[in-house]
Amino acid sequence: MSIELKLSRANRIYRPSETLEGKIVVKSASSISHYGIRLTVSGSVSLQVRGGSAGVIESFYGVVKPISILNKSIQVRPSGKIGSGTTEILFSMILRQPGEDNLERFYETFHGANISIQVTICLEKNLLICLCVQRTIDIMRGYLHKALSTTMEFIVESDKADLLERPVSPEMVIFYITQDTQRHPLLHELKSGGFRVAGKMSSQCSLSDPITGELTVEASAVPICSIDIHLLRIESVLLGEKIVTETSLIQTTQIADGDVCRNMTLPIYVILPRLLSCPTILAGPFSIEFKVSIVVSFHSELSKIHSKSDPTTPSIWMALETLPLELVRTR
Amino acid sequence: MEFKPRNYTAERAAHALPRVCADNHPLSVSPSPHRQVDVVDHGNSDFFDPLRGLADNATVSEVQDLESTFSEASTQLPTKEWISFKRFLMQRFPASKMVSISSMSHVLMKGVKTYEKSSTSTHLEELDDPEKYSEDGVKVITRQEYVSRLHELKDEINRAWRANDRVTSLKLSIKVARLLMDTSVLHFYPTLFVLAMDIMDMVGDMVWERIKWKAEFAEDGTRICSLPENFQASDICYDAKETCNNWFCKIGSIRELLPRIYLELAILPCWRFLVDQPEDNLQRLVMMTRGLADPLASAYCRLFIAHCAQKLPSCDIGYLVKCVNDINILLMRIVSAKETTHRNSTDNKRLLFALIEPTIEYIMKCIFKDASERQVDNVLVDLGLGRNQVDLFGSLPCVSIVLHQLLKELPAEIVTSNAVEILHIIERSNDYSFDQCLNYRLLGFRLSERRSQMDIIHVAVDKVIQVVSQNNRLGEYLKVVDAYVDIVLQNQMDNHLNTILGGISNRACNKVVTEDELASLQTILVKLLTHFKCLEDVLALNHFLEILDIMYGSSRSIVNMHVLNMVTRNSYIRDPTTIQMLFEISQALHDDLDFVNVKDDDNHPAHLISRFVRMVDYGTEMERHLTFLVECRGAFGSLNELKETLVHSSNCLAIKTLKDAKKHLSFVKSCMAFSEVTLPSISAPIKQLNLYLETAEVALLCGLVSHSDGLLDSGISCLLSLDFADGSRTLADIEGILSAIQKLCSLLVMVPGNPEKGVTYSPNNILSLVNSKSWMTPGIRTRILCTILTLTATLSQNKLPYHVDNREIFGNDLLFFGDSSYLHELVSLSKSVLQSLVDAIEKEPSRAARGSMALEACNCIASSFVLSHGISPICSKLIETAKLCLSASDKYLQSTIKFLDKNLPNPMVAPSIAV
Repeated sequence: MSIELKLSRANRIYRPSETLEGKIVVKSASSISHYGIRLTVSGSVSLQVRGGSAGVIESFYGVVKPISILNKSIQVRPSGKIGSGTTEILFSMILRQPGEDNLERFYETFHGANISIQVTICLEKNLLICLCVQRTIDIMRGYLHKALSTTMEFIVESDKADLLERPVSPEMVIFYITQDTQRHPLLHELKSGGFRVAGKMSSQCSLSDPITGELTVEASAVPICSIDIHLLRIESVLLGEKIVTETSLIQTTQIADGDVCRNMTLPIYVILPRLLSCPTILAGPFSIEFKVSIVVSFHSELSKIHSKSDPTTPSIWMALETLPLELVRTR
Repeated sequence: MEFKPRNYTAERAAHALPRVCADNHPLSVSPSPHRQVDVVDHGNSDFFDPLRGLADNATVSEVQDLESTFSEASTQLPTKEWISFKRFLMQRFPASKMVSISSMSHVLMKGVKTYEKSSTSTHLEELDDPEKYSEDGVKVITRQEYVSRLHELKDEINRAWRANDRVTSLKLSIKVARLLMDTSVLHFYPTLFVLAMDIMDMVGDMVWERIKWKAEFAEDGTRICSLPENFQASDICYDAKETCNNWFCKIGSIRELLPRIYLELAILPCWRFLVDQPEDNLQRLVMMTRGLADPLASAYCRLFIAHCAQKLPSCDIGYLVKCVNDINILLMRIVSAKETTHRNSTDNKRLLFALIEPTIEYIMKCIFKDASERQVDNVLVDLGLGRNQVDLFGSLPCVSIVLHQLLKELPAEIVTSNAVEILHIIERSNDYSFDQCLNYRLLGFRLSERRSQMDIIHVAVDKVIQVVSQNNRLGEYLKVVDAYVDIVLQNQMDNHLNTILGGISNRACNKVVTEDELASLQTILVKLLTHFKCLEDVLALNHFLEILDIMYGSSRSIVNMHVLNMVTRNSYIRDPTTIQMLFEISQALHDDLDFVNVKDDDNHPAHLISRFVRMVDYGTEMERHLTFLVECRGAFGSLNELKETLVHSSNCLAIKTLKDAKKHLSFVKSCMAFSEVTLPSISAPIKQLNLYLETAEVALLCGLVSHSDGLLDSGISCLLSLDFADGSRTLADIEGILSAIQKLCSLLVMVPGNPEKGVTYSPNNILSLVNSKSWMTPGIRTRILCTILTLTATLSQNKLPYHVDNREIFGNDLLFFGDSSYLHELVSLSKSVLQSLVDAIEKEPSRAARGSMALEACNCIASSFVLSHGISPICSKLIETAKLCLSASDKYLQSTIKFLDKNLPNPMVAPSIAV
């Protein structure tokens, strides 16, 4: 015998004010009696510190208490019997009653750097945030049998009413990358030869739109190897009195391959990864922010030797500029 | 046995058809219009032309076949054009057998064994280009393996898609697109591009179909709606849009630029599900392509843009112009780059330009395919070549190769009206991406496409001639000049023609002319020859003969053939110096005969030479003519066709002399002697036989009876010596021999009998020929025997039907009038002929043939002999044979029986007619 949950939407995206609809499919060879079918929706923000920047001591206190944002339960069926074969039970529930005042903000679904919560606590020192709304249905059955349950995740996006108007003309940030703007050591020939890459990029961006902008290589004595746009995510968790921050590279997009022509405008066009991005959140105990860094790598014998080095740490054959990016959900 | 007396004059009068004057000439233009309507009635729908009907169906089904393999999205693009372009790309750059691949294309490695380069060769190449091979893991696979691996990948993608594993399909497609990043394969790149494109197109079509299905059908397979061809983004349901968006998101997350652009282009039409202006994305993709610094990769990427953009319903050509401009900038960068020291890199650049050229060509074609005039103007302005922006010429130079392709595709009227401006641009774009003189050349060809304003043409040609005069290299000079010869000729720019010919002769003297230059010279001279009406005008041109003398080999022969062809087309050639020149040309042609391999029979050099000999006319200087013929025989001894012409010509000469006056008998004799000497060397026996007969007739006409006898003897002995090896005789040969023998017999009617050899000497010879030759079929034998029979009957008459048109020659009717031994000889010949005839008919295996042969013989006998007791049984026997073989209702049989009846004194066969 099996039970299965099917939601009305294939993409499983719902907004808080919407009705969650679906059906429970029970397949059974024989008829069964039960003590009731209960549906529970629970959502919480789980913050976790895993290895890395935090110290060994912190890692013992690593598991920060989850913040609950939703916990609702309804009875779909009172106790009774379900016949043999396939039975479909329709259900619907409202996630948030209009006017109901939630204590916590209704955060959007978001999965951070590593969702696998394999609790090897002692070793994990870094932190992890998980905003997750889960709904569980339990079919309580006779005492001789244990309860059957199944869990499924669905995705919550902000209510349209709460959203900002789409920014009419997104603000552009103008940037210059030259040998003088770099805060890390550069190859000698880069320092002496000089280079100048100029451009502009949107500083605020709707999640459904690409990051746009443009960039021009105005001069460069050393041939360019590649120009990439790195999308970075900064997750911060308040741990005791300390704020623990982790920056992760969530997407790299190349916009120039090779030594491109000088003074030719190249477009910046980066589509945001759906599952790895969410609106910028600045809450009390935690925050999620984004940054974009424009990395120009130059041809160098060294780059071939260290080809496996971390792309986010600046190397001497690279020049970069990092810009903050605010992500918003728009209508 | 008695010959039937004939009165030929009376018979002719009785049997001739009454003649009536006709109102119209049957071949004159028909004045009745309705007839023509019948013929040209294509619009009539009732009319069914079986051939046309079939052809229509065939093309329709063919087109459907083609279309069915493509999705709806791609039906709008000119598929055939693209297919042929792809084929052209793959054939133009045949790759070497081995392709080295960089380590990143591990997708190719699966199941393909690779050959590690031997250390020595790697080392050598490292010396050449230390950067390229410094990485470890350079692998080499054969071209065939590369291709088959790509085909496998295509199958894998397809299979994964069918198994609903679309993620795998996408991943593999990305890997394929990534292969295009490696341009070190050079020669192989176009082939790689085409193969990868097939895969991209396939993936694009699959995605399009899937989203379209999502838009038209619900999840359970019921149809929600049917999308019109020109649907709007608002017609698409949320689910389909989500799927579509998802695809763009997945592709957007590809790190590398090149595969990201290629895959978005592959699914470019899908933007139509999301937005109403998908063209905006095209603009962005064009801009994004600027990020590809590799010239080869970016040029081919732009080619793919041009290809994919055609899948969108409507599109401005502005994006294509931007593509060309970007390519131009990129090439300019290569051209102006500091020359590196070794020659190798220049060669590499040349190869690079050659590889890029087709992409420019295709994009240019797309730009001008259906551009209006206004659009063309805009394009020119956008390319920086607009006519209103004179100051732009200096600031935005055009790379030679781009200019070439532009010039190739510009509409002819734009070229002609802007000729001078274009010349300026050509002058400025002088780089090694493309030979500048070829641009001058192309302009010439484009200008000659249509007539244009005289003043512009004059200025342009003046300018070109001035520029090209400074070029001292013959090859380049010829290439340019060749293109302008037509214009110069059409516009009667005689001074330029002189300059050009003088220029050629200056540059070509004291120098060995190369093959390429020869080819150019050839086309220029042929253009001259076709332009002028008569040879004298061509010969009057300065330097023409000089230039002709510079040439050699097959080009020379071709020009010579054109000269001969031109001269022999219309009138006789009378001028002795011309004849002398043509004779020399013919001699050169004859000496080079081995080089000339012309399939066209009509223009074969041998044919042309004999036509020239035939057209020569010395007028009254006949002795000179004969000398010329003798010279020809000496000079062109190996041409069989010419010998026939020589015999004809000398015979003609004899007849002409005869008409003139009689005092030239000795000259006629020398003509005959010439023919007699020439004849035996003709190798084709039937032609030889016919010429013997012709010459014999001419000799007879000239009163040279002994010559005529000799020639006839030679003719017959040539027949006697004729022996076909088994199987070598054709029906046409046999028919030719038959008609020659018939002609011989009719000639013998006029020839006076030779009392020394006997009057039946020649017919006897023919008879023995008939009886001795095994290759004679009974049918042919019968017909020849009938002819001999008719000849003897004719010779027996008191008045012959025709005589020689020469009063000094008497016919046999006068020579042997009333001579009983003469008649006796004829009768005895007839007897043996009759016997052979009956025998021959019996030997015919086919019944039907035997029947008609019997009837033919019977008719012949009945019209030759009085049906006396000696003859009648033979006739009735033949009729019996015919009756056995043919049906009683056979018309020939009935009319023959009727004919016999009429000639019989007593109706002995009559009772049997009742059948």
